[in-house]
Amino acid sequence: MKPSFLYTLLFGVAVVLFFGLAYPHHLHYQEQFQLFLFDSTYVWDIIRLPGSIADLLGRFCTQFFLFAWVGATIIGVLLSLVQLLTLRLVGWGRLYGLSFMPSLLLWLFLLDENALLGGVWAMLLTLLASWGFDKLPDGGMRRVLLLVAVPVLYWAAGPVSVVFLLLQSPHPERSLAYFAPFALLAVMLALLPRFLPVPVDRLWVGIHYHRFPTEVATMLWAAALSVIVIALLGHFSHSRDNASSSLIPHVSWVVVAICMGCLVWRNSNFKAERVMKYDFMACHQQWNRILQTISTEKPNNQIGVTVQNLALAMHGKLIDHLFDYHQNGLAGLLPDVKRDATSPLPTAEAYYQLGMIAMAQRTVFEAQEAILDFQKSGRCYKRLAQTNLIGGSYEVARKYLLALQKTLFYREWANETLQLLGDEQAIASHPEYGRLRQMACKDDFFFGDHVTPDLLQNLYLSNPDNHLAYQYLMAYHLLTDNRNNYSKSPRQTSAKQ
Amino acid sequence: MTFPRFLLLAAALLFLSSCTHHPDVPASSHEAECLPAIYPDYCNVTVPCNIAPLNFMLPAGDFEECVARFTLPDGRQQTYGDGVKVQIPEAEWHAMLNLSKGKSLRVEVWGKTKGEWLSFNPFEILVAQEPIDEYLTYRLIEPSYAGWSFMEIAQRNLTSFDETQVFNNEIACDDRAKGQCINCHSYQNYKTDNMLFHVRLSNGGTVIVNDGKVSKVDLKRDYTISAGAYPAWHPTAKLVAFAACMTRQAFHTAHPNKIEVFDLASDLILYDVATDSVSIISNDSTLLEVYPTWSPDGKYLYYCKTVPLPEELRDKDIISTYRKVQYNLYRRPFDLATHSFGDEELVYDAASHDKSATLPRVSPDGRYLLFAQGQYGCFHIRHSDGDIACMPLDGQALPSVDLTNLNSEGFAESYPTWSSNGHWIMCSSRRGDGNFTHVYFSYFKDGKAAKAFLLPQEDPESDTFRLKCYNRPEFMIEPVRISIKEFSQVLQ
Repeated sequence: MKPSFLYTLLFGVAVVLFFGLAYPHHLHYQEQFQLFLFDSTYVWDIIRLPGSIADLLGRFCTQFFLFAWVGATIIGVLLSLVQLLTLRLVGWGRLYGLSFMPSLLLWLFLLDENALLGGVWAMLLTLLASWGFDKLPDGGMRRVLLLVAVPVLYWAAGPVSVVFLLLQSPHPERSLAYFAPFALLAVMLALLPRFLPVPVDRLWVGIHYHRFPTEVATMLWAAALSVIVIALLGHFSHSRDNASSSLIPHVSWVVVAICMGCLVWRNSNFKAERVMKYDFMACHQQWNRILQTISTEKPNNQIGVTVQNLALAMHGKLIDHLFDYHQNGLAGLLPDVKRDATSPLPTAEAYYQLGMIAMAQRTVFEAQEAILDFQKSGRCYKRLAQTNLIGGSYEVARKYLLALQKTLFYREWANETLQLLGDEQAIASHPEYGRLRQMACKDDFFFGDHVTPDLLQNLYLSNPDNHLAYQYLMAYHLLTDNRNNYSKSPRQTSAKQ
Repeated sequence: MTFPRFLLLAAALLFLSSCTHHPDVPASSHEAECLPAIYPDYCNVTVPCNIAPLNFMLPAGDFEECVARFTLPDGRQQTYGDGVKVQIPEAEWHAMLNLSKGKSLRVEVWGKTKGEWLSFNPFEILVAQEPIDEYLTYRLIEPSYAGWSFMEIAQRNLTSFDETQVFNNEIACDDRAKGQCINCHSYQNYKTDNMLFHVRLSNGGTVIVNDGKVSKVDLKRDYTISAGAYPAWHPTAKLVAFAACMTRQAFHTAHPNKIEVFDLASDLILYDVATDSVSIISNDSTLLEVYPTWSPDGKYLYYCKTVPLPEELRDKDIISTYRKVQYNLYRRPFDLATHSFGDEELVYDAASHDKSATLPRVSPDGRYLLFAQGQYGCFHIRHSDGDIACMPLDGQALPSVDLTNLNSEGFAESYPTWSSNGHWIMCSSRRGDGNFTHVYFSYFKDGKAAKAFLLPQEDPESDTFRLKCYNRPEFMIEPVRISIKEFSQVLQ
């Protein structure tokens, strides 16, 4: 095996291990804020905008992030391919280590939980196109194909494709043919805003490289720029042959690998990873795992505390062990619903388990609507289907389930759940839906962004078997330091009698 | 039509027809002895002579195939069916409608289930002489609580399936975290050279088109409680009546209505487009005035106003009194020369019938008044008892027109509108599933409404997978020609 391939393999394995071991919940986080549908309307909505193929491939791959190791492997393969395509520009020489630079920058790009995989695909498509063009002979046909490729690649990969133009256009003579592709790109960028219903700046910096639409994907653009710099260095360097048998390529790789490792580690957000882990465990109702986790490290962030309290309550330990852990007042019990896509989800899980089905539904809905790039969420659709099913709104549940039927990984669940719609007996005997239907609010209240003790009390009094509601009610009084209400609570009173 | 054009059209029809699947009618079948459970339900409806094809389907879970045979009044027949769907090419459909104007199409449907064909009772589609306005605008939005994501105002050609975007909340939104809401599209006399819509939050304002020229205005003045909402263009003058509202909402824990929308305060204001001035029409601080609309001659402003709450409830929070808030319909004469309003007249005393009436719309001939009605409140699209009501404006005090064919049982209907010729009533309804609103039409003639039908779609299944509400449907006789780009330029 050539040493260069060995190093690529090592790099790929490092990427896989990093995302699989150190960053798995970032991948789950990515997956839960999109819903890839095998549906022509969904695909059309993507491919009608520049950057479409990269976006489509990015979304397609992101659905596999439901399984962190599969997601990590996909990222490892993509970044390795980018490195191999960059290697062509510098070869096995003293600049060899630089061939890892774009992949490293893309790795840094992906450390941001809101960086989208479509950006990586845009880079890969651009480099692949450039590689393909390098195989074409010089001549008129090549120049014509270049003119065709500019708009096609812009549509497929978005503005990052300008790298392709810069890599393919250098010619010693600055003729009309040299400037034509640039002129074409300029005309395109000038005309497209007239026809596309998207902000103009998005056409210049990328529509779907980052979940925050107004955010410029700096690391992605740095990766794109690095390819040009590397190409220029490779062009002016005459050292390839001299260095090919020396230690220099190995040393350059070691230097880059060390720098890369340090940079990745320093820029990783492990605090966010821990928060995402709590959210993931709550989403998958891993109550035992949560209790094990909090026994080794007590969470001190809002999501962690909310999940911790829910897990304690699910095991009937909330009242006795409430103050064994960090608390954050009511914001750690049932936080107010905020307008973001992340923080309401664990709260919604608590509402759901409590039997506050309408509140869970609303909270999940608000979270989904707050996804900044307007995508939908498999996790949210699933919960919306469940809450509508429990609430008896079968036709609404059906709509969400039919959409989930068009996915790869939620289809089976959707098929099973569709069978339950309208089947009152099956729902009543279902271990989750039957229980929650029994526990659900019977009396009508108004609710807003925060829960009230009256609501919890009513929930408990309407069904004294709802132990979770009781624990939350008591915890509410304890956290608000309302010992008077705590001692007057229904169970405390009966115990005294 | 010139001969070459005729040849071209004939060739096009031939080509289209060659692309369409015209299946054979099943040789043998069992009689189901009932009407087919087609979606949408187009059995025995009356449709405009220019409407887009009424494509439909049999339930995919119950049937494997569907064949429909259409018989024209002259006896000619054509069959359609592909899988469980019946999708008719536009050209062939319009040719059928032209030949059936004032008469009816007979439709026979066969459905294949478990390998056997069932034949259903035939039904008719009555083709009215009167066309429907060619365009329709609606806002597409999820059935939201407080937050929202992507929304768009879209215009649909009712004679085809073309749907284009008028505006969206992405192109001129500089602050995605803050978001942008677009709403309340409104047109003067069904035309688009004078129109408006609101943009809230990021780059907010009211976008007004005045004789085709686009501008943004801020309708909030020091002396108004809010910017304008629920606009109504005067039919002849460059004046727009608005409600100025402080709207809030609360969510039910256990109620099919899910959400209650209410106003803490609301007044009526008049905006003069020419002078960019806002004047107060009425601002009784103890009562809520909302939903202004003009009579077709512009001589009256109709609106809704609450009745005073019982003494014991007056100082209570609206959360505890909302079920007692009921609106009556009123009108005030308007003098165009002085821009002044006369004394208030009670048009319909809904509260005395323990009802609340909202969203009035006067028919183009001035003879009827449509409105939404429920037991309480001002937002009947969120009330499962919300229905459309209609009263003749001939001095009667009750909504005596029977709209049973338009309303559904147990699901909300609201936002009624007249077509420009007064023969088509349009409304929003949640009858499909209780959560997503869709647009329904009903033929109206001589005080009678025919069975309502759903806005046709090219793929009859598309509304099932489009998880959006069709919000605030408004008729137009021409499309909005101003581009999204032009609209966005005045906002940024």
